[in-house]
Amino acid sequence: MTGPQPIFMAAALLGAVGLWLMLPRASAWGRSLGAVLALASLGMLFTLVFGVGHWAANGAFYVLAAVTVVSAAATITMRKPVYSAVWFALTLLGTAGLFLLQGAQFLAVATVVVYAGAILVTFLFVLMLADPRGRAPYDRVSWEAMVSAASGAVLVGMLSMTLTGVLRAEDLPPPPKPKELQAGVLAKEHVARVGAELLGGHLIAVEVAGTLLLAALVGAAVIVGRSRPMLQEPESVRPETTADREGGRR
Amino acid sequence: MNEIALANNYLVVGALLFGIGLVGFLSRRNMIVMFLAAEMMLQGVSLSLVAWGRLYNDFGGQMLVLFIIAVAACEAAIALALILMLYYRNGSLDIALWQQLREDNLPPYVDHELPELPDDRREWPRLAPAGRDPGIPREKTDYRRHV
Repeated sequence: MTGPQPIFMAAALLGAVGLWLMLPRASAWGRSLGAVLALASLGMLFTLVFGVGHWAANGAFYVLAAVTVVSAAATITMRKPVYSAVWFALTLLGTAGLFLLQGAQFLAVATVVVYAGAILVTFLFVLMLADPRGRAPYDRVSWEAMVSAASGAVLVGMLSMTLTGVLRAEDLPPPPKPKELQAGVLAKEHVARVGAELLGGHLIAVEVAGTLLLAALVGAAVIVGRSRPMLQEPESVRPETTADREGGRR
Repeated sequence: MNEIALANNYLVVGALLFGIGLVGFLSRRNMIVMFLAAEMMLQGVSLSLVAWGRLYNDFGGQMLVLFIIAVAACEAAIALALILMLYYRNGSLDIALWQQLREDNLPPYVDHELPELPDDRREWPRLAPAGRDPGIPREKTDYRRHV
């Protein structure tokens, strides 16, 4: 076995051990060791990343990818769910930056606005409503941390080793030249092209997505609105007071 | 070769995001953190789709990501409503409490026992209140510097 595959395997194993040490467990030892191991595996993976194009674009990619992956690992290892949500916001910003580097400007803005602006804020609302103290014991003990870290390592190792097997120049159609990209995905009038593609080729899908959003809105309202909270006593139990009766008469 | 190397880089990052999200979804017990991990897996897939779209010089990948964002918004609305309902039932966001979900006439399925709590969560005996009320307002005793 030659080439990058042994490094991929070693990095996946190292990262899995690091994640297992960082996940909330019954004992608190080894968290910093886990962070060091996970960072080492990230560094090993980055040695396999090709330098492409200008050094500024390369540096931007390294920084954004590191921010995305590190904050993703922090999201799942934080003890307090509010911190998890804030780290996930950083992951979203990193992903938006990577979209921008790929030339997908509209998607970058949509990710920031819809995910970080709307979905994540709703998460924080529910978190504050349900568990404002964030000291729950179930956040301190995770569930089968070793098995899940191992399965994640297997998945990432298989995916990345498949990539090196599949992405070969002789098997693919010839990659687009810079001029073709300028006329296609990297066109200057990006938003106009995206709009034309969306409403030209995918008009019915847009209508279906709109209907789905409406149905989800109505469904969420029905789910929350119909059933009363079980922890409070139902209103019918409350005895009728004289003030109620007087109010009823008026 | 240049474009293929670029696609390779982004696909590796997408795979990493997906894998980390998978680990979080499998191991965490807080329902909201599990849901965050699921959203993270969606982000990894989106990154890969945009990379493939650029490799083939096609807008299809970006279109699919737009629809992923729309579906994720629907999913978040419904799932948060359901999580809120489950919280009202149990007073807890712990997913492990729902492993006894079954019909009345079926035997309980026990996957395995809940993991032990860490030592600092052990219940210690409380002192009985003594002396006179110091008169400290409730806000002061409940103040916390950390979330």
